[in-house]
Amino acid sequence: MSEPGLRLVPADGPADVEALMGRVARGDAQAFAALYDELSPAVFGLARRVVRDPARAEDVTQEVFLEVWRKAARYDSNLGRPKTWIMTITHRRAVDAVRRGESQKRQDDHGAPDEVIHDEPADAVIRAEEHGAVRGCLETLTDLQLESVRLAYFNGYTYNEVATLLDKPLPTIKTRMRDGLIRLRDCLEGAR
Amino acid sequence: MSTELHTLSGAYAIDALSAEEAEQFRRHLEECPACRDEVRELRQAAARMGAGEAVMPPSSLKARVLAAADQQPQLPPKVTPIELARSRRWTSRIAAAAAAVVLVVAAGFGISQLQNSDDRSTLAQPVAQVFEAPDAHKATVETSNGGKVTVATSRELGKMAVETKALPRLSEKQVYQIWAIHDETPVSAGLLEDTDDGAAMAMPSAGTQVAITIEPAGGSQRPTSEPIIAVDPASV
Repeated sequence: MSEPGLRLVPADGPADVEALMGRVARGDAQAFAALYDELSPAVFGLARRVVRDPARAEDVTQEVFLEVWRKAARYDSNLGRPKTWIMTITHRRAVDAVRRGESQKRQDDHGAPDEVIHDEPADAVIRAEEHGAVRGCLETLTDLQLESVRLAYFNGYTYNEVATLLDKPLPTIKTRMRDGLIRLRDCLEGAR
Repeated sequence: MSTELHTLSGAYAIDALSAEEAEQFRRHLEECPACRDEVRELRQAAARMGAGEAVMPPSSLKARVLAAADQQPQLPPKVTPIELARSRRWTSRIAAAAAAVVLVVAAGFGISQLQNSDDRSTLAQPVAQVFEAPDAHKATVETSNGGKVTVATSRELGKMAVETKALPRLSEKQVYQIWAIHDETPVSAGLLEDTDDGAAMAMPSAGTQVAITIEPAGGSQRPTSEPIIAVDPASV
């Protein structure tokens, strides 16, 4: 696998995540530890970006790796690479955590969120080489595509909420979100 | 496919649908291979966007995660039952009809000839599909009861299939049963009622062996005999 991945791994190069997954599926705890070393920065980084609170991000990271451990034998390589699978689990769990917290907050103060919480500037988190390629590609998105994708992906808003926040019609946001991701996909493919 | 639904693929890929909409879209995905491909690709792009945020977690977290995993049993692989020969290919229906005619004329003769022919027209359609896939890998293995099984795998289709025509006939009291064995735990993948059909199943997860045993008619909960064959689909 030659995904230009994280540079946070030891100098001997990224471990073969696919091979590790096969071993984890057979209950190999050592492979699981290696998989953790390989992917925990990505998992924790995304979780922290979405849930914001580092302590909760740790909890999400733990939940993600436990799910990976439990379901390793059910991982289906046809649904994507192991890293994609694990990042998809991470995102879903992080978003769930945010929405649980959000509904709690809404019950508390009864008000809809009326301000867009903008992301911290991306420059503050440049730590991985991956970030460069992704950032370059994100720049090819239109403003509305980018805003829709980021509010959903990094802030955990539903497209419905994004439409309200940006004061745009629902179908517009729906298509911008998809078009934005398609553009990102195509750009990253080309950057390989 | 409904374009209305299809445009939700982006929002679905990044978990931006409400629970109800997500459920609805998941049902749609089951019948829309193009949408599944798109979701997979968009998720891969999103995953890279997420990985761009990588930050080292506190070192204490690793011990916590490993200790927690140590307490958690792993789930066995989900075994997709073998696909039943619901729709044979039209050639096989014609061949079967022809065989029936021959049967009347020269009892049994036609049947055995048909079985000896090397074409795959008697295979159940899902099985033939795997054997004919452009990326199919095939291997023929001898079984311990004096027969042969040909295994085909297709990564593209995500399936494996076995051709079992050359397995010895069993008495009516017995049946061949297919198992997926993971971590020494066998899970039944189904019965091979008609060896002419062969069987197709989703490609099992890594580390899973596929085995065939002879069981009492109706099949068993767990294997009651030594497998006549066990293969690792990944090695085919």
